Amino acid sequence: MQPTYVIGIDLGTTNCGLAFAEARVESPHQLPTVLPFAVPQLVNPGEVREEALLPSALFLPGPTDFPAGSIALPWDPEPAAVTGQLAQKRGVENTRRLVASAKSWLCHAGVDRTSPILPVGAPDGAPKISPVEASRRYLEHLRNAWNWARPDASFDAQNILVTVPASFDAVARDLTLRAAGDAGYANVVLLEEPQAAFYAWIERHPDWRDRVRVGDLILVVDIGGGTTDFTLIAVTERDGELQLERVAVGEHILLGGDNMDLALARFIEQQLSAGGRKIDSFQLHALWQNCRLAKERLLEDGNTAEEHPVTILGKGSGLVGGTIKAALRRGDIERILLDGFFPQTSSNDMPQRRRAGLQELGLPYAADAAITRHLARFLRQQASSAEHGSVRRGPSGLACPTHVLFNGGVLRAGLVRERLLSTLNVWLDGESMPAARPLEGDDLMHAVSRGAAYYGLARLGHGVRIRGGVSRTYYVGIETAMPAVPGLPAPLKALTVAPFGMEEGTELRLTGREFGLVVGEPAEFRFLTSASRKDDPAGHLLDEVGDDVEELSPMEVTLPSAGDAGEVVPVTLETVVTETGLLQLWCVARDGRRWKLEFNVRERVSP
Amino acid sequence: MTRLLQAIRSFFSILFSGRLPADVAAALGLAKAAPKPGTRPPEPPVRPVDGALQLLAILQRDARLVDFLLEDVSGYSDEQVGSAVRSLHEQCRQVLTRYLRLSPVIDGVEGTYTKVESPDPARVKFIGNLPTKGTPAGGTLRHKGWRAEKIDLPPVDRRHDLSVIAPAEIEVE
Repeated sequence: MQPTYVIGIDLGTTNCGLAFAEARVESPHQLPTVLPFAVPQLVNPGEVREEALLPSALFLPGPTDFPAGSIALPWDPEPAAVTGQLAQKRGVENTRRLVASAKSWLCHAGVDRTSPILPVGAPDGAPKISPVEASRRYLEHLRNAWNWARPDASFDAQNILVTVPASFDAVARDLTLRAAGDAGYANVVLLEEPQAAFYAWIERHPDWRDRVRVGDLILVVDIGGGTTDFTLIAVTERDGELQLERVAVGEHILLGGDNMDLALARFIEQQLSAGGRKIDSFQLHALWQNCRLAKERLLEDGNTAEEHPVTILGKGSGLVGGTIKAALRRGDIERILLDGFFPQTSSNDMPQRRRAGLQELGLPYAADAAITRHLARFLRQQASSAEHGSVRRGPSGLACPTHVLFNGGVLRAGLVRERLLSTLNVWLDGESMPAARPLEGDDLMHAVSRGAAYYGLARLGHGVRIRGGVSRTYYVGIETAMPAVPGLPAPLKALTVAPFGMEEGTELRLTGREFGLVVGEPAEFRFLTSASRKDDPAGHLLDEVGDDVEELSPMEVTLPSAGDAGEVVPVTLETVVTETGLLQLWCVARDGRRWKLEFNVRERVSP
Repeated sequence: MTRLLQAIRSFFSILFSGRLPADVAAALGLAKAAPKPGTRPPEPPVRPVDGALQLLAILQRDARLVDFLLEDVSGYSDEQVGSAVRSLHEQCRQVLTRYLRLSPVIDGVEGTYTKVESPDPARVKFIGNLPTKGTPAGGTLRHKGWRAEKIDLPPVDRRHDLSVIAPAEIEVE
């Protein structure tokens, strides 16, 4: 059945957004307008209001959190959890029941992502949910909100596009799809966020073919509340038509606007404490929010003020008496934000690696806060043979973009955009390459959901599609048959099962190597990936697994036993990339029988 | 700063008691000459008093207005009061724009001659040298007046005690 609408969903770390467009196209030159959808949500107890975004916050209320009946939603008189603005507000006062940044946990391989581990600080006996479950709740809220607001167009009958960071690996993508399935989503396709941002630019510029040329390379920099994501898109040509190819994606960097605002708040806190004023955690939170507002005001285009006041109102019923006053100065913002997060480094400066040793069980935040150094590493990543020379590179091997598209809340500040661009252009100058130009995006808060809706139209054949394929190289680990050394794990070799760029709707069979699986017993495959190794062809065996390859959750399959338990069945592996971009591994027996390998996220728990 | 304070206090005094605070009237020199905000109490969804309590509770919740108005600020410096009011003003303003739509009664330029079409004393107040007979055709617009075009308060839940403007807070250490 033809859907009435295509719906783009930005499932963000800090905010979710939804945009939609009519799926009916009258003329190929006149695509339907993509419209934002205001999300009804609880903003205060007993008050449901439509807001442009749904904060990705989930509050698991106890008996004392809200007055009876005050968290009813129009579609659910007694929800088990509160989603959105009210969850965010109440979560400040009662942090142990607040689930936030669930998406960052979704791609954290060090924990079991299907077991109830959130909120992290919740005491024993308090309700907990899994990262997958949290994502399900956000998606479910959006689905219910849509069905309530648009009873004429059932959500389940529409085409749904959900965005994920480009740096999400196959496991995190699989878990996102699982969350969508649990939320009742029927027709879901995943799309990478930086690509969505680029689609939003195309949607706003129907004349985009006149703005780029064959050989151009577009760098998409997406800095959201919690994550930073890089992508390179090359402009190529096939049969005389301009084509777009996503040629590289960055590693997962847990670093975003929230970290920056917190750094500003910590700075003010230090100033206050130097002046003898101590603030508690509630006040620090208020300070954090106020610093964000002050920063946004000061960095607005045209604002020339040297400072913006930051106040924390007194606690208790005395307001004026307890008010703490400070000011955020332009100079401090420039120093903390620009020098701390966007220093003018050289293109050879690589981010510091996390020091080995014991780590607190928490999110693996980026060890190096300098986004410019992460960008340098991204642009220096190994060139891919799949690039077909479409990536412009300087003499030193640095990828040299011709255009930069900015996305995400942090990059609304012109100051930050200019610093990133000028740093990049110094690097390009060093390679004797012309300076990169910014592509004018707009509405950086909603671009991802809008772009996702555009992609929905493109999938129906009404717009340009970016060719991408698998964003990383994937391997199956093979333990070498060496005599065991006590205390040392057997050395690991890695067999390439999905090369970088393997396209949607294709499959390949690795006939060179057979594995013997015992019927009736679970067989486990170690699964590895690399974002930077792009030249390993399918079937290639890496003798040594280096730092550029990381291990993911294992994959598991059990061959059903039909009486002959204990039998060993020789199988070969087959890789399938579905039309929706999902990577699947299959075991194929000689007689053609097939079994799908499933991720086993439960097995892999932090050492 | 003083004028802002007076304006806020006048608004609520008129909203809830129908009178200007005596000290404000005195400070302005002449109570009758003070501009009278033309806002009427919000349309009561349940009882007249419910809407008033609800609006007051919202202003306390989002802007801590009651805390501020009931605090003795005489001992604090203007700077100290000022820095608290800046945040309070911003929040109060957000509440007004979110839950009410206010517009001028006469959308003109203050200080210029303005004709009065419908001389309803509830909408237009003539001040100064009024003629002994009849109504004047116009005059200098001194204050545009305010009217609430729309009030959009959340539904009142009568199960809860609306007289609680702000709950007591207890922090569990």
